[in-house]
This record gives sequence, structure tokens and C-alpha cells, in this order.
Amino acid sequence: MTAPHELGAAADPRTAMVLAGAEEGGSLGRDAWRRLRRDPAAVVGFVLVVLFVAVAVLAPWLAPYGPTDTPGQGTVTPTNIPGPSAEHWMGLDNLGRDELSRVLYGARQSLIIGVVSLLLGATVGILLGLLAGAFGGWVDNIVMRVVDMMLAVPQLLFAIAVAAMLGQSLTSVMIAIGVTNVPVFARILRGSMLAQRGSDYALAATSLGVRRRFVVLRHVLPNSLSPVIVQGTLALATAIIDAAGLSFLGLSGSDPGVPEWGRMLSETQRFLASAFHLAVFPGLAIVFAALGFTLLGESLREALDPKYRR
Amino acid sequence: MRPGTRWQHRTAVRALAVTAAAGLALSACSGGSSTATGDATGGATDGASDATFIFAGSADPITLDGAYVSDGESLRAIQQIFEGLVTSKPGTTDVIPNLAESWTTSPDGKTWTFKLKSGVTFTDGTAFDAAAVCTNFDRWYNFKGIQQSASIAYYWTTVFGGFAKNEDDSLPPSLYSKCEATDATTATITLTKASSTFLSALSLPSFFIASPKALTEFKADEVSGTADAPVFSGTFGSEHPIGTGPFKLAKWEKGNQLILERNDTYWGAKAKIKTLVLKPIADGPARRQALEAGDIDGYDLVDPSDVQALKDGGYEILNRPAFNVAYVGFNQAIKPLDNPKVREAVAYALNRENVIKTNYPEGAQVATQFMPPEVFGYAKDVPTYAYDPAKAKALLAEAGVPNPTVEFWYPTDVSRPYMPNPEANYQLFKKDLEAVGFKVTTKSAPWNPDYLNQVDAGKAAIYLLGWTGDFGDPDNFIGTFFQSTQLQWGYKNKDLQSLLDKAEAETDLAKRTADYEQASKVIMTDLPGVPYAHTQPSLAFKAGVTGFVPSPTSSELFTDVTVPAK
Repeated sequence: MTAPHELGAAADPRTAMVLAGAEEGGSLGRDAWRRLRRDPAAVVGFVLVVLFVAVAVLAPWLAPYGPTDTPGQGTVTPTNIPGPSAEHWMGLDNLGRDELSRVLYGARQSLIIGVVSLLLGATVGILLGLLAGAFGGWVDNIVMRVVDMMLAVPQLLFAIAVAAMLGQSLTSVMIAIGVTNVPVFARILRGSMLAQRGSDYALAATSLGVRRRFVVLRHVLPNSLSPVIVQGTLALATAIIDAAGLSFLGLSGSDPGVPEWGRMLSETQRFLASAFHLAVFPGLAIVFAALGFTLLGESLREALDPKYRR
Repeated sequence: MRPGTRWQHRTAVRALAVTAAAGLALSACSGGSSTATGDATGGATDGASDATFIFAGSADPITLDGAYVSDGESLRAIQQIFEGLVTSKPGTTDVIPNLAESWTTSPDGKTWTFKLKSGVTFTDGTAFDAAAVCTNFDRWYNFKGIQQSASIAYYWTTVFGGFAKNEDDSLPPSLYSKCEATDATTATITLTKASSTFLSALSLPSFFIASPKALTEFKADEVSGTADAPVFSGTFGSEHPIGTGPFKLAKWEKGNQLILERNDTYWGAKAKIKTLVLKPIADGPARRQALEAGDIDGYDLVDPSDVQALKDGGYEILNRPAFNVAYVGFNQAIKPLDNPKVREAVAYALNRENVIKTNYPEGAQVATQFMPPEVFGYAKDVPTYAYDPAKAKALLAEAGVPNPTVEFWYPTDVSRPYMPNPEANYQLFKKDLEAVGFKVTTKSAPWNPDYLNQVDAGKAAIYLLGWTGDFGDPDNFIGTFFQSTQLQWGYKNKDLQSLLDKAEAETDLAKRTADYEQASKVIMTDLPGVPYAHTQPSLAFKAGVTGFVPSPTSSELFTDVTVPAK
């Protein structure tokens, strides 16, 4: 049993060779980590992600007001929506709520939508990919045709259809985004597993008489996961953008008082002329959250791929 | 008789369809043809010019046949082309003579004799006379098939009830009995019972008089399709709307612009502009941009948040007198709203002043009852429910439900004169309710048809709605809401209903006023809902435009409008 177990192992048929050449840094995972730390893009991405998660978790302690509190009550009128000030760093919104607090609380919604839809998409996608990758043959054929069909529909359109079918709610937004992630994960895992199945260590294990289930689950699967992890990070970024997009289109249908970045943007369209700040801050929040996950994902991809080794 | 009348819904329906087209065609028509001032027929022509005035509303008219519509955008155009026996004094809801010079009523209030203006002609050259008046009334009375549906003959069914042969059992017997042309200038209309709203209702564009010749020739009565999606196969309402008004139709490019031209044979003061263009621009910000770009000279339904910026930019803002009411409605058929204490608790819990201040433009006022102060019968001493969360909590405790769960509905994708931003109102009200212990479940639906249907069908427990008056009569407000039992309210008070019946038939103004004042007190004691706002919807014009008089019922004429030279 000499197969590598590290999650970070490469999804490349040359894994064995690469591993043989990884003499100076020990495991490939550690190697990848070292490269990540040296990559400024990765560091920026990592910091943004940590910040985002921290804000989402700590919102009640960080935010000066509750998300529906109206400290500006009595001050705010349709023609007077105060912008940033010492007291309210991001200004007030059209109902007199503190914009900073709402942006901070909004991170929670984005994180929840992102994580739940990712888990959903990844779980189903991984199961399908596993099925196709492990069995091959006609199972693979059927699963892949289904996946192809799902891929044929543009992602946002598909999400809108799901949201329309299941009704307007945050749950349906999560399901919609999750479902659109399924084919991506299924294909990536399947491709990666097919490559690993043909690798020397897998062949060796099989020829030693190890049962197929054991080979697939203990050897091939762990070694096929790294592109899935990269995809997971990137999918979080798109999930946040998609969630904002769907909410902006009014498909989230959630309680309008719940701060959600996309929804905040769409609600404040009518005040663009008089209260510019209401569009800027939720917009920036979406940009930075998505940027963080994208930078981290891309760097992770490079770090985990031996081809990018410098 | 549905709240949020078609005045209001229809505008939202077609809104999307025309958005794209609206922005495109801009200048198009400015050149006047040769008939600048050639009228020797007398009448005031001073100030008449070749000018073109371009005005934007939020949607295209549905048809120019007043009998078939009830939405504000159609009525706006019809108002310019046709005229009624009576009209309202500009800027008010006071009824004044128009095509009828005077009228008398029989002692029993059933027979109305109208003395008509002589020498008036329709724009197709035929004479306006008593026979024409009777032809129009008989036409409406003899509507058949889907012409009888409430969505098509909305105002007829609202004012007159039924038809000659009712095809639906739910239609009441008609208030209208017959019309006789005693002589060319005398028309006698007989009703089946006394009605004090009849005369005011005749100021509605739906009861304006059309040329009998054109009605027949252009097949005005050919309607197919369904009640919800009627197809008008004749060309009367689209190409040949022939009336006696100050303007006549020049060209209607559907979805793009409706071009009206001055009627140079008009009997009264002729229009000061040569051409009036009505443009549908569904999107509020797009209307504002069109004005700022100089593509239009004025527009309706100014967003409250744009008012100050437009004023600062040198534009003219005119407000219509408050003639509407926004309310939080309760459905008493749904628990716990059957409990008067719970309803009172809601009333005390809502911070109405704050909602007005935060979400409404200047000029909006807190409502105390279901009609605006401008209408007679407005009661000064109704029970009021000033914001008092502590009292609300106490009432809930007394009622034995300190934390009642309620479904609270609001409409999406809509802006109404009485409710510029429903979602914003909803959020503040919800917070108020939660503050006193209510557990609020959010429910929302697109305005038309989903939201209105749900509310009408009695599905909504607490909901946001409102009403804009059609004519200056309290019956048009509280009579509409409470004279009959409606699913929307689930509110049955037989005494109140008979009081409203009595008030409607009463012809003595002082007694009627007292009856409606009494009714308002009863209503605000029973509390079927919480009225919270009367607003003054705004219109915007470029600097130098004169002669536009905002009307409480949005029935403005463009006859006196002048526009500065470009």
C-alpha cells in the first residue's frame, strides 16, 4: 500500500513520477502550501476570504446596529438620505437603517447561500462523478449524458427556472445555484478519477488482488479530489455572485428586511440619483467577497498542479 | 368595485411591454400642417400656436373607447377627445355643466332632464344632440356578452349596476331605465331609483358622448376574446374615436406615441397648442431622464425621491390635491383579526407618522379615515389611534394573544400614487408590529393580477392597499369599500351597510354629509383596516410650461397648456 493519501495529490497521470521527484519538500501538500504562501494573489485572496467569513460569523458583534434598526428615523426622507458620516460610516439607507450594519449582516446571507449551495452541488455532483468514474461503461454513459443535458442550459437561466418553479425564497435560490453546480463537480471528479484509475498505483493495487471498492474509495478517490477542491473554492465565488444576481432579479423573495447584498442593490436603484452610496457599498462587498474566493481558488489550482511548479 | 381601481392596475400591466419602445422614438412630430389659425368660426383663439406638447405617462391607452376602460392612461387620452354632459371644475371635483347647459331633477330623484348645448358638432361633422346622448346611453345599457364583464364595463357596472339583459346572475338590476330625446336639445334620463352619485359619475370619461355615426361605422361594439383579454375588432377605439372635445386623434403609434391634434371646430376655447403627444414611458427613472434630455415637456407619476432634484434643476413640480387613501387592510375572516382588540392593537402599533415622513413626498398627510379631507362627509371627530406601542401590547395581552402570528401581504413591482414604494412601507410596518409582539409572516406577490386577486379572494390577513377617487363623492370611497360585504374585508355590519345605502339615495346634501360622517365614525370604531396616508402625487414640467391644472382625479385637460418656444 504505497499509494499517497494526501488530499493535495495531483490529478495527473504522472502522479507517480511527480511523487518520485518530490524529494526536497516531502509531501505534495506541503509543497503546495509553501508555494501558496509565496503567491501574493493567494495571500490577498486568503485574507479577503478570512475577513468575509469573520464578518459573517461576527456580524452581531461587529455591527453598530441591528439589521432592521432605524437609527435614522426622523432624519431620513425620500429626498434626504444621508451618505457616509463619522456616525454612520456607510451612511443610512432609505428607511433610516445603518448601511454598514446591513452590509456586515449581508455577509451572513451570502456565506450561508454560498456554503449551502456549494455543499448541495458538490455532494450530488461528487456522488454522480463517483458513480461514473468508479463503474465506467454504461453507468458512466448515462450519468454523463444527464450531466451534459444539465450543462447545455446556461447557468443563470437554469437558476431562474428553478427559482420560478420552487417559488421565490432563499431556499430555492440555494437549490438553484446548487443544482447548477452539480454537473461541474460531476464532470471534474469523473475525469480526474478516470485518469487515476489508469495510473500505476491503482493498477498495482488491483493486480495485488485488492477489491475494486477498496481501490476506488481509498486510493483513487482521495487522489482525484484536488481539482474538486479548487472547483469548490471557485464555485463559492460564483455562488455569491449568482445569489446576488438572483436576489437582484427579485427571485430570492426573502423577507425584504433581511439584508442581502443583491437585494439591497436592487432596492436602492430608485435612489441612485440622490443616494449613490447605497449602490456603492453592497456592490463593493459583492466584488471583494467574490474576488477573495476567485484569487484563492486560482492560486490553489496553480499550487496543486505540478505543471505550474517553478 | 375593487379597491386600487383599474385606474391604477392597468397602468402596471402594460408597463413592461412598452418600456423598450418608449425610449426610442423621440422627436417625430413637430411640424404643424397649414391650419394654424384659420378659424373664423369665433371662439377664443388667442394664444393658439403651432406648438407641440409632449407628455409622458406610464403606459399606452388600452383603447380610446371610454366605455371599455377604467385605467388612468386611457382616460387621460379620452378626456381630450370626448366630452360628457358634465365635467369637473379644473383642479376640483365640483361638477359643472359641459355639453349639458343645465339640468333639473324630478322630486322623486329618478328623472333627470338635461338641457343641451346647441351648435356643437362631432369632429366627423355630425351634430351633437339629444338623440346622440340617448344613443350612447342605450348603447352602454344594451351591452352583451363580455361587454358586460366588470373588467370591460367597469364604470358602468360600478355606477349603474346591471344592463338591459343581465347575462350574469351576480349583476344587480340596472339603475338606468331609459333615455328620451324630447327635442334636439333636451334629453331626459330616467333612473330606477334615486341616486345622488349619478350626476358626479357622469363626469367620468367612461360616460362621455361619442358620435353615433362613428360608433356604428367603425364597429365599436365588436368585442371578442375574453373578459381579461378583450380584443376590440372595430376601429372606433383605435383609429376613429370621434367626439366633441378640444383635440382629435391624428395618429396612434401603439407602444410609441399617441398624437392628438387641435380640434379647430371646437365649440369652446380652442387648445393653445397645435399638437399633443402622449408617450408611454413605463420606467420612472426613464421618464425623468426623458424630461432632463428635453425629449418630453412633462410627465406624470414623479417618484418622490426625484422631486427635490427636479426642483433644483429648474423644473416645475405640480402636485395634485390629495384625493386618495392608503390603508393597511384586515380580513376579519382570518383569526386573530376577528378580535377587535387585536385590530386595535395593530392600529396603535403602527407608526404612521414615521412611514409618511420616511417614504412619502412632501404634502402627504396621515389619514384618520377611509376618505381624504377634500371630500364632503369627512368626519373631524372619528376615533383615532395615535402611535402607542405600550397600549398595543396591553391590548394584545387583554385579548389573550400576546404573540399572535399573522400573514402580512404587500405587492411587488408597483408604485401607486398613494403608495410610492410598498416594500418600504411594509418593512417599517412589519418592524412596528414585531416590536409589540406580533409574529409576522411575509407574503408578497406581483401587483397585477396575483396580488389583487389574492386580496380580493380574501386570502390576505393583513395587507397594504389603497384607492384613488374617481369622482368627488364619499360613496366613491367608503361606499366602494363597505356598502356590500366583501371577501377582502370579511367585515359585516348590517347597520353600516344600510346607513351607506340610505346615504347614497339621499338627495339632501346636508343630510348626506351627516350620514357619511356618521358612517366614518362607525367604520373607525369597528376598524376594518388602518388608513394611514393621503398623498399629493406630483407631475413635472420643463420650465415655462403654463396652463396645466392638476386635478384630484387626474382628469386634466391640455387645452390651456402652453409651452415655451424651443
